[in-house]
Amino acid sequence: MTSISRLPSGAGVGLRLPQIAEVVATRPSVGWLEIHPENFLANPHATELLTELSQHYFISVHSVGISIGSVGGIDRLHLKRVRALVDRINPVFVSGHLAWSTYGGEYLNDLLPLPYNLEALRLIEAHVREVQETLGRRYLIENPSSYIGFRTSMMSEAEFLSELVGRTGCQLLCDVSNAYISAQNMGYDVYQYIDSLPADAIGEVHLGGFTVEEDEASPGAELLIDTHAAAIAEPVWNLYAHAIRRFGARPTLIEWDNNIPLFAALLAEAAHADEVVAGTMALEARCADAC
Amino acid sequence: MPTLAETQKFFRNAVVGDEMAGIQSLIVGGRDASKRLEIHRRNYETSLVTALLGKFPATVWLAGTPFVSEAARHFVCEHPPHAPCIAEYGERFPGFLSACPGAERVPYLREFAELEWHVGHIAVAVDQPPVSLQEFSAINDEALLNMVLALQPGVRYLHMSWPIDELMKLYLTETAADSFEFSPADAWIQARGARGEFHMDRLDASEFIFRKSISEGQAIVGAAERALDADPTFDPGRALVRVVAEGLVTAIMSGSEGDK
Repeated sequence: MTSISRLPSGAGVGLRLPQIAEVVATRPSVGWLEIHPENFLANPHATELLTELSQHYFISVHSVGISIGSVGGIDRLHLKRVRALVDRINPVFVSGHLAWSTYGGEYLNDLLPLPYNLEALRLIEAHVREVQETLGRRYLIENPSSYIGFRTSMMSEAEFLSELVGRTGCQLLCDVSNAYISAQNMGYDVYQYIDSLPADAIGEVHLGGFTVEEDEASPGAELLIDTHAAAIAEPVWNLYAHAIRRFGARPTLIEWDNNIPLFAALLAEAAHADEVVAGTMALEARCADAC
Repeated sequence: MPTLAETQKFFRNAVVGDEMAGIQSLIVGGRDASKRLEIHRRNYETSLVTALLGKFPATVWLAGTPFVSEAARHFVCEHPPHAPCIAEYGERFPGFLSACPGAERVPYLREFAELEWHVGHIAVAVDQPPVSLQEFSAINDEALLNMVLALQPGVRYLHMSWPIDELMKLYLTETAADSFEFSPADAWIQARGARGEFHMDRLDASEFIFRKSISEGQAIVGAAERALDADPTFDPGRALVRVVAEGLVTAIMSGSEGDK
């Protein structure tokens, strides 16, 4: 399995198709770029531009279509196409979600929740192994944003992810915003959640914006929706600082997929992430000295 | 305890089919978790409807947002995608749209939407290095007849029964004509694109048949015979020179290679 000896310094941003020509033309200063391979597989022109960018930037491939949680199995044709893109641009990370998206040959275009029990764990273990063998590299699994849980869950999400890491050798992509959203929506302590994750397995961190709606399931209460359509909220920045204290500095990515602002606004969010890391690490160092 | 397969079946039916039986007793979240399923239902429907509308903006211009949006909502429920690459989803939408009640007022709607579908794909193609005329001159005449040609990936041949390329040009140039004469007439269209650009050209029937046959993998001799059936005065030699001169040919293969 390929070992990653190179890592980006500084926060990166999600690169979406409407921005790619601008980024090729202006070559902004940014730590790294992350793409969804599904946006490129049927777009040779965008792939050509991405290949050019891969000569100048670290690229991360973040799949939304490799459905590791589906009982119907992995879509091998899709995985093969992702592999071809990975071979072409040699990304620094390849990641996906703890979720399922396909059923009976249909692709449901959403990241759907899973019960956390042994049956799901065994299935996902097999699928992560298949993905890692096909890609020839370690896969990173992202914690989902949750609105719904299952009565059939037998363990917490953090326990499930820790077990998956132990069984497959995969890494984790800790989406701090997803953690915050899930904890708010499902009613648990997000700081305890972060503390329960296996720190050594965290290979990457995501930050993204959410929107707030009334929770129709609990009138009068609020529900956080993972829209990636807004700036990162203050409580998420605070949680990010906690995550950095717990995990150490990790390659961090800003996601913004809807109501996409000017690229400069994304770069500003990335710069703020770098400031949070620098401030947190400096504080940690002072505390260590004082101790 | 339901299996994971049963759980996913119930969940799928709730998200795509709005069927709550089965899933309701399995989920938790808030005081009434079933209400939160609406988020996933919305994610499914809205994301795919938005994707379809984004792929057919000219069709929306022609037929109106309410009509196309409503058709798209029905389409995503009746024809979910089968692969995660959403750019490839929607090829059957023109046919579905044209069968919706109300579409009969726009008899050229299907052809127009089909042209838009193809334009969307050729515009993101990448041109391959073309074969030059000199490379053809190295092949003897008899062998040449049996050769199969590969054409640029961003070229399509579309025979339409309405002059919809004219209508598409109106959309693309944002021209609001005071009146626009539009009546059925055969249009043999070559649409070609690459790297964000595209253009549409009219061909005469025999030239169209020759090029389309080549694009479908016919040997040069077979493509020429088809074109001659349509027009006995068709000159295959000159037609071939034009195809090569336009940079359309990217590879010359023997018939057996083409079969592969």
